[in-house]
Amino acid sequence: MKSVRIIALKQDRKRLLEHLQDSALLEVAAAEKVEEGFERLDTSAQLRQFERNVELTENALRILAEVAPEKKGMLDSLRGRREIDPDEIGVIASNSAKIIAICQKIQALQKTRADCAAETVRIRTSLSQLQPWKKLDIPLNTGDTETTAVLIGSLPKLYDEISLSEAIAAEAPELIFDYEILYASGSMTCIVLYAPKKQKAAAAAALRSLGFSQPLNPTRRTPRAKCEQLEEQNREMTEKADAAKEELASYAQYRGAICDTQDYFTLRAEKYKVLSSLDQSKNVFVLNGFIPEEDCPKLEKLCEKIPSSVIEYEDAPEDAPVKLKNNRFSEPAQSIVSMYSTPSREDIDPTPLLAFFFYFFFGMMFSDAGYGLLLIIGTIIAQKIFKPDHRMRSNLKLFEYCGVATVFWGLIFGSIFGDAPAMFYKLFTGNEITMKELLPWPILDTQKDALMIMILSIAFGLVHILVGMGCKFWVCLKQKRYGEAFFDTGLWMLMLIGFAVLAAGMALGGVLAKIGIAIVIFCAAGLILTQGRAKKGIVGKAVGGLASLYDITSYMSDLLSYSRLLALGLTTGVMAQVFNMLSTLLGTGVAGIVFMIVIFIVGHLITIALNALGAYVHTMRLQYVEMFSKFYEGGGKAFEPFSLNSKYFKVKNSNDD
Amino acid sequence: MNGMIYAIIGVSIATLFSGIGSARGVGSAAQTSMGVLSEDSSMFGKMLVLTLLPGTQGLYGFIVGFLILINCGVLGGTMPTIGQGLAYLGASLAIGFGGMFSAFAQGKAAVSGITMTAKDEKNFSKAMVSVTLVEIYALLAFIVSLLLVISVPGLNI
Repeated sequence: MKSVRIIALKQDRKRLLEHLQDSALLEVAAAEKVEEGFERLDTSAQLRQFERNVELTENALRILAEVAPEKKGMLDSLRGRREIDPDEIGVIASNSAKIIAICQKIQALQKTRADCAAETVRIRTSLSQLQPWKKLDIPLNTGDTETTAVLIGSLPKLYDEISLSEAIAAEAPELIFDYEILYASGSMTCIVLYAPKKQKAAAAAALRSLGFSQPLNPTRRTPRAKCEQLEEQNREMTEKADAAKEELASYAQYRGAICDTQDYFTLRAEKYKVLSSLDQSKNVFVLNGFIPEEDCPKLEKLCEKIPSSVIEYEDAPEDAPVKLKNNRFSEPAQSIVSMYSTPSREDIDPTPLLAFFFYFFFGMMFSDAGYGLLLIIGTIIAQKIFKPDHRMRSNLKLFEYCGVATVFWGLIFGSIFGDAPAMFYKLFTGNEITMKELLPWPILDTQKDALMIMILSIAFGLVHILVGMGCKFWVCLKQKRYGEAFFDTGLWMLMLIGFAVLAAGMALGGVLAKIGIAIVIFCAAGLILTQGRAKKGIVGKAVGGLASLYDITSYMSDLLSYSRLLALGLTTGVMAQVFNMLSTLLGTGVAGIVFMIVIFIVGHLITIALNALGAYVHTMRLQYVEMFSKFYEGGGKAFEPFSLNSKYFKVKNSNDD
Repeated sequence: MNGMIYAIIGVSIATLFSGIGSARGVGSAAQTSMGVLSEDSSMFGKMLVLTLLPGTQGLYGFIVGFLILINCGVLGGTMPTIGQGLAYLGASLAIGFGGMFSAFAQGKAAVSGITMTAKDEKNFSKAMVSVTLVEIYALLAFIVSLLLVISVPGLNI
């Protein structure tokens, strides 16, 4: 990585920035302080405007998705961005004002819909409040006539004609009255009560003591008329909302254009962000940034097009961003490294090592030639059909390579859709056969040779861990931290090798065991002598050295952790076999064959889904927990070039990666 | 008398307890994910994956049970002796109980993973990885049960 500085005349600014954005060669980073005679352009107002537009289009797309959902296949997320000609950007730009107006219209219509919905709720509430009074044929706020007092209201208890008469009579024995019960249900009775006007006070008192209360919103109309009016309003609101929805749906045709406009404004915002980080004088501007060393010639070639420009390089500072550069084999695994952390400048790039072990372990866990083949074919077809973007393509590539490893291990374990070939052979010929007999090469049977595979798994684990520690050794050597390299890492590496030799010696007999013991004792002594070196005093040093031997437990648990290679491989094979067995249960009749096909497909799909997920996750865990913990620091900043960072379209011939 | 009855109890233990675990794990995860889906139904795919993760234990239990059935004469194989029947019974304990408790734990992890994904969809892969880490213990129990069941017909007990 190099620091780069481009100086050019202001009149070429637009052209240069466009070229840089198209080529995605460098990351722009403003210098900390502006040099004298230069100043920076304040683009925050335009930037805000662009960002508002992006937000507006996002909102509009969301509304359209709700009103007129787009039909999307499950695999459409694999699809890459639409390719457009460079000229098309001009068209998009000239349409953008129109599209933004449409987005605003969409937002306004959505607001209308929301208002209508709120109004509908309000109307419904009023309607339900009026419901009990529907039988009443006079307005709720009817007053007294010349001689008769009219009292309309509800009592908080359930009454019928007899019980209510009794209740009122008990409260006011002298009262002359008549009433109608309009509604009685649950714990409420709605009544209208008539009494002579001169007894109104007594009637009101009697009712009050029964808990009488007047209706909440008395109106001049009869309740029925009011209900009808409200229902009319409700209908109007619904119509209005429907009309708004229909109009919204008619805008669905602009969806593509809105996406393009959003990208257009995203790109402009990006450009203006860069613009604000340029140092500018009256005639000249200066651009500071970072560029990967290997891309320098490309940048020089690009700047030849702009005669006024001058490029200066400098060594990059400590905190410069990091760009991983890998070949075709290991590049797909970069995403796995980045998911953990971008390497810092002190780290070595672990991607090639990780890539190899990732494919290898994934294959061992998924371990079925049939599934591996499906994985390869599926990912290749997806790459061909959908033409996915760089990131998705490299993910698909990752699984393609994992598929190759899976086929490899499937053939070693003699597993092709479990024991499907043997099963079919038996089903149609009636003769028992095992995969071992069927396949012309020697195989390791996951079930019968489980112990052998377990030992293999742990041996692979040992290699994996040693490689991790080797990286640590190398990094320490490079930084001249010799103590750490030889004592902390080297001795342990040797110790682990010693244990391996010892184990081999115990299994095979002979002198190996003695050599192993010698190595282990030598290393243990070395560790005791050196591990306390940071401590003060003889006692402290001795205790520190002895305590460090305790680390052996963590190495042991790391090694045993690799038994998951066996466990997951075995699970895949057994699950596949069980489904094969299930599928043959009904024999070879017509029904049996149909049953077999269905169970075979469904069963293997379940097995693939479960075990591919398991293999992926546990491979990752082995890398992160067992290997990375040995040497990897991470914490670097990823290189993010100034580029056409769009979501929906990509310009043809532009450098997408 | 032969060991058939013990083998059958073993089949039930393997299927029953791991099934209980998975049912409860998937159940609580499904409850949570439906809460999330009521807000945003577009996350169905992600929620489904997280919900189903505690469901594997039941499947492992079923596989062990099925293999015992195949070995012990119900769906083929030979009638077990009393010793072999008891061995099947013992073999089923690992996946029965290992599966049940790991499914409980995985269900809880899945619930947390679902709420985490609901807050920000980018967390999905992290949630998935964390929830799957519990799986290994069910897997180990399954492997032990499996190796035992496979080796029992050859045992002379």
